[in-house]
Amino acid sequence: MPKLLVCYKWVLDEQDIKVRPDDLSLDSSRAKGKISDFDRNAIEAASLLVEAQGGTVDALSYGTPAVKLSVKDVLSRGPNALKWIGDPEADKADAFVIANVLAAAIRRDGPYDLILCGEGSSDMFYQQTPARLAALLGLPCVTFVSKLSLEGDVLTATRKLGDSTEEVRVTGPAVVSVLSEIHKPRIPSLKQVLGAAKKPNEEIAVGSLGLSAEDLKPRAVRKSPRGFLMNRKNVIFKESDAAANVAKLVSSLAAEGLR
Amino acid sequence: MAGIFIFSEDPALAQQLLTPGLELKQALAQSLVALTVNPEEAANLAALGADRVLVLKSDQATPEALAPAIAELLAKEAASVVLVGGTLRGKHLAAYVAASLKAGLTTDAKTLGIAEGRLATSRILYAGLAICDEVVELPAVATVPPRTFLAPAWAGGAGVVETVDLKADARVTVLSVTPVDGEGVDITAAIKLVAVGRGFAKQEDLGLARELGTALKAELACTRGVAEDEHWLPIERYIGISGKTVKPELYLAVGLSGQVQHMVGCRESKVIVAVNNDERAPIFEAADYGIVGDLYTVLPLLTAALKN
Amino acid sequence: MSIHLTEEQALIGQSAREFAKEYLDPIAVELDHSSQYPTAVVKALADHDFLGLFLPSEFGGAEAGFVSLVEVIENLSRSSAAVASILINHSIAAYAIQRWGKADQKKAYLPALAAGKTLGAFAVFEHGPTPGVGPDALQATQQPEGWVLKGTKAFVRNAGVADLYVVLACTDPAAGGKAMAAFIIDAKASGLTVGAPFDTMGLKGCPVADLVFDNVIVPATAMLGGLTEGQAIITETLAVASIAEAAQTVGIGQAAVEHAAAYAKTRVQFGRPVSTLQAIQTLLAETATDCHLARLGLHEAALLLEQGKPFQVEAAMVQQFLARFGAKMLVDTVQVEGGFGYSEFMPLPRLFRDIAGTTLLEAPADYPDQTIATALLA
Repeated sequence: MPKLLVCYKWVLDEQDIKVRPDDLSLDSSRAKGKISDFDRNAIEAASLLVEAQGGTVDALSYGTPAVKLSVKDVLSRGPNALKWIGDPEADKADAFVIANVLAAAIRRDGPYDLILCGEGSSDMFYQQTPARLAALLGLPCVTFVSKLSLEGDVLTATRKLGDSTEEVRVTGPAVVSVLSEIHKPRIPSLKQVLGAAKKPNEEIAVGSLGLSAEDLKPRAVRKSPRGFLMNRKNVIFKESDAAANVAKLVSSLAAEGLR
Repeated sequence: MAGIFIFSEDPALAQQLLTPGLELKQALAQSLVALTVNPEEAANLAALGADRVLVLKSDQATPEALAPAIAELLAKEAASVVLVGGTLRGKHLAAYVAASLKAGLTTDAKTLGIAEGRLATSRILYAGLAICDEVVELPAVATVPPRTFLAPAWAGGAGVVETVDLKADARVTVLSVTPVDGEGVDITAAIKLVAVGRGFAKQEDLGLARELGTALKAELACTRGVAEDEHWLPIERYIGISGKTVKPELYLAVGLSGQVQHMVGCRESKVIVAVNNDERAPIFEAADYGIVGDLYTVLPLLTAALKN
Repeated sequence: MSIHLTEEQALIGQSAREFAKEYLDPIAVELDHSSQYPTAVVKALADHDFLGLFLPSEFGGAEAGFVSLVEVIENLSRSSAAVASILINHSIAAYAIQRWGKADQKKAYLPALAAGKTLGAFAVFEHGPTPGVGPDALQATQQPEGWVLKGTKAFVRNAGVADLYVVLACTDPAAGGKAMAAFIIDAKASGLTVGAPFDTMGLKGCPVADLVFDNVIVPATAMLGGLTEGQAIITETLAVASIAEAAQTVGIGQAAVEHAAAYAKTRVQFGRPVSTLQAIQTLLAETATDCHLARLGLHEAALLLEQGKPFQVEAAMVQQFLARFGAKMLVDTVQVEGGFGYSEFMPLPRLFRDIAGTTLLEAPADYPDQTIATALLA
């Protein structure tokens, strides 16, 4: 029976983040949390694998103490159990720190036959955690997977790499990152939502993982983000006469030297 | 600690990396070293400014398979900055290398510089909503998206070319590699693009956009929905956060709403034009010029007007 | 998210929102045009346990409570209030059976209703005066072979697609409201026919039709509750329905205000977005406020119902509030969107027609006032 792990990140919903027009700073005071979009695909992929052939899926997350808000949400989406690490310092963490913490938790509770991650988080989109985890745990790594099958400990995957697709095979354990197209995440049914409370979840204190101060010190320090300023002419032609609109656009294009 | 290292399996991207590499070389007063898996590119890289070119020889040349060996090489060389071409393979390699070097890594760096002895970068967050400066301690790694920089214009360098034998990681077996669609169009190089979205009711209707493209001498691009859900156009023409990033002179968006995940791939275009029947569509906020109207009416008129 | 929701209730609301985006957004406009009953969507509602939402787990329900029910209905209604109507009418039929059914009736009907294998409908209205006031259009008379039902129920939602009906009939014309009784009637019962579908103003896709009873014979065991309990069943079940419909109204209003706010930001007049105009801001602010306060009120009524406490007065207050401000939410948001908003290719006209249904139907204007005043003056 394979023992799977899926890592996810609890992020702010970027739809709720507003740019303050005066200084372009970000206002996330009313932003709700969500399971990072791509991680939902990983959760679904892991859950479908064990639902089809047996085994268990643990979920693992590292984040600020707000990650606690994700407990029932993630457990309603398929995983059997959850370990989560809430750390007030996590909002400063870079991918170096995130991978160190996750790897330490995996060493504590593993080994796992397969570790799945999303392609990248929908807030920072570093796309680093899977390969970093593989390096830290000494495991092979298969990234950007659009199709996945597991037979015994042999994993076959289709990778999508932009200009090409690649079929690969690896004998587990391994770290895999999945693309959003791999599976549409499920919409939990009411019974799955209500059943989440009955599944085990455990908070792991970051201090209990045996990591040094150096392991927890971000190597990349983010400065305050600022909203992307869209600076366009916004000349919109919207007369009812389509031909007149087209004529005006064509002369604008000509003025720009783009005819 | 010494050396600015660049790597990309994509020859054009490798040359582009030399441009920020040369600036970092100035700022840090360290040598610039290019790693390559393409022996035929070595002379070019040396001419374009690499002080050393290390040709990586192994039985398997994918960046992913070479990641552990490259990480070891960079540790031995005590690299201070590593720039990796931001292809998907490159991102995999960069993250593996960064973890091995206990280094920070900026993904998709838009700018690169040195500030107070650290690597200063900027990148986007929240699917393009925001930009963020990031300062990375040395040794530092960054991936750089294609076409962020132009290759150096000066080609009078005389760097040395060496060959290094590397052992590839054989744990992942590549069973097959299939080029996508084989159309081989590089829309990132197009000067003008006509981009289509779900406003088109069916695949045949894209003919309207093709005719407009012909009149404008523009290539066809599309949204994720058109490529991945409808499969109307090959994936290589898809613009957006997980697709291609383009900055043409003209980006003419037809029947697409302009969600931020799409716009992040085209918002550096010089001129953006939108045709959409929904006046509220965010594309108009992002456009220099726009026509509110039914694309089935507007496109034939526009094509005809441009032909005249 | 409201602070008084439990984590589960909030997640259930989120799940319903995801459901609505996946299943309802793609069909809502087409449903409004075609009025074609959305069979596949109702199957999906069943798969996600929405049809057995508050029913006890011993009958296969999710036992999620009434606060969850209103969260689900609001979130579905933001995308398609018509689909929410199907769920509401099914739910109140199930409510009546759960509340007044005898043990064997519950065992016979609730598991299939909870699983969505059978769809329920609650048939109370008639073409003539309010039921119980008389004369009643559907009479039930006791005969040796059982109860014989003759007459017509009007405006029955889910008519023709439901597998069973909870039907209110008068057992004694002389006694009027005191002699109302409820019956559980199989849709395939001999003598029962469904009239021509009504083409309604809104909520299109939730079928509405008459049920015509031509001497439909049912056994004594088909009676739900006691011989004179019909009026109580009507009053309480409609009060439950009114909470659900308030959630529907709030969902429509929420969708309208979000759409209008987004529109106002992009619609440029006099050289600036109309959202910068004070008059527009006032319309949006008032609508958002009415929507928010109605939501708080209906959540409290749902909580009281869930806790088994008296809830009718609170439910009536929400109904009363929305009778005044529900349709106004659409009047005002359409005004924000002006000429474009009035066009049928924009969503507000559909929402307008739908909110007329949720604030007018099944909620006669005098009924909440009476409930509230009676309680005040008692």
